[in-house]
Amino acid sequence: MMGEQYLTLIASLPPHMPKLFKTRQTPISRLKLDERLQMLEPEHRQELALIENLVHWNRMAIDTSDLEMIKRGRAVEQQLQNAFIKEIVQWRLEERTIVAALRRRRLGINVPPPVTHWGYGRWLRYIEAHWMEPAFALEYIFPWIPEAAQLLQDNNYLALERLLLSLVWDHYGRVVGDHYFDFEAVVVYVLRWDVIDRWSRYNKQRAEQRFNDMLDSALGGYASLFA
Amino acid sequence: MNEFVVALGWTGMYGAMALGAIGSIIGCAIAGQAAIGAMLETEGGYGRFIGISVMPSSQVIYGIVVMFTLQRNVTPENGGALFGIGIMAGLALLYSAVLQGKTCASAINAAKAKPEIFGLSLAPAAIVEGFAVFAFVFALVIAGGIPGGQ
Repeated sequence: MMGEQYLTLIASLPPHMPKLFKTRQTPISRLKLDERLQMLEPEHRQELALIENLVHWNRMAIDTSDLEMIKRGRAVEQQLQNAFIKEIVQWRLEERTIVAALRRRRLGINVPPPVTHWGYGRWLRYIEAHWMEPAFALEYIFPWIPEAAQLLQDNNYLALERLLLSLVWDHYGRVVGDHYFDFEAVVVYVLRWDVIDRWSRYNKQRAEQRFNDMLDSALGGYASLFA
Repeated sequence: MNEFVVALGWTGMYGAMALGAIGSIIGCAIAGQAAIGAMLETEGGYGRFIGISVMPSSQVIYGIVVMFTLQRNVTPENGGALFGIGIMAGLALLYSAVLQGKTCASAINAAKAKPEIFGLSLAPAAIVEGFAVFAFVFALVIAGGIPGGQ
């Protein structure tokens, strides 16, 4: 049976559009959303902040290392008590691990040695074992991998971003199931809000700027040598 | 033993109303919270949200009517019947009020987003109400056979 701890909160939030890419802006401003989220119990507010800080790219420093990310993921997992939310976070981090593997392989990086911290979750060793398979032999579990690999191959990063965002959007919509007025429903609402926010902010200039920042950060002082 | 059966009779007589009241309290509180949330988000039409949120209050009225129908001198002969009808009718009213509150909360949440489905979204709550009416009406019918009535 559904919980109804956050009836007032959920009823006070405008609904998300069923289709992500039909949305041009978030249904509610962040300021107003944060104001409404004040209705959460303090421990739930804290839990939500932990999750958002982990899964929202914009809340991460550009130069966050893989090891740092993995450590953070494990620390958050330890702190989460709710199995549903734990599952959502795990799914998201595993999805990122698969994308990271695709990118690494595209860059010509060979199978990471077992001691390397490059990903997260259940499929890590399996991916390493099937590194040279087109979809890491995971296409029956994650049918989107072949398409993502192809888009990466074609350097079609915008389409790849669309694919990944729609994947996350649909997953959240699917798993929320019969959670209507409980904390789980609030978490899914906020995470979907983050996805819309990311998509609505997406534009070429910003993407280029972020890419350049990442490049500068990766090259460090070496960039100036060739300037 | 006779005293115990008489006590059960009184419990059943008042129980119909008490359980109906508990259901209405919970149901109205559930739907009311959703109505308050919807009012935060919408610019108008507040009255209809409040209107939906009081739907589960009918169960306590049914409970009161059942209580008055059962009211009579409680004796060892009729104590068991009063208990059975009162408590069972009360439980049906309690559950229907709580679950009607939940369907009303969902209706409020849906109607807030899509005002055009306002009427249709009330159908589940109306169906639940129908089952509460069954429990109520047949409690009255069957109460007619309890000895000791006026």
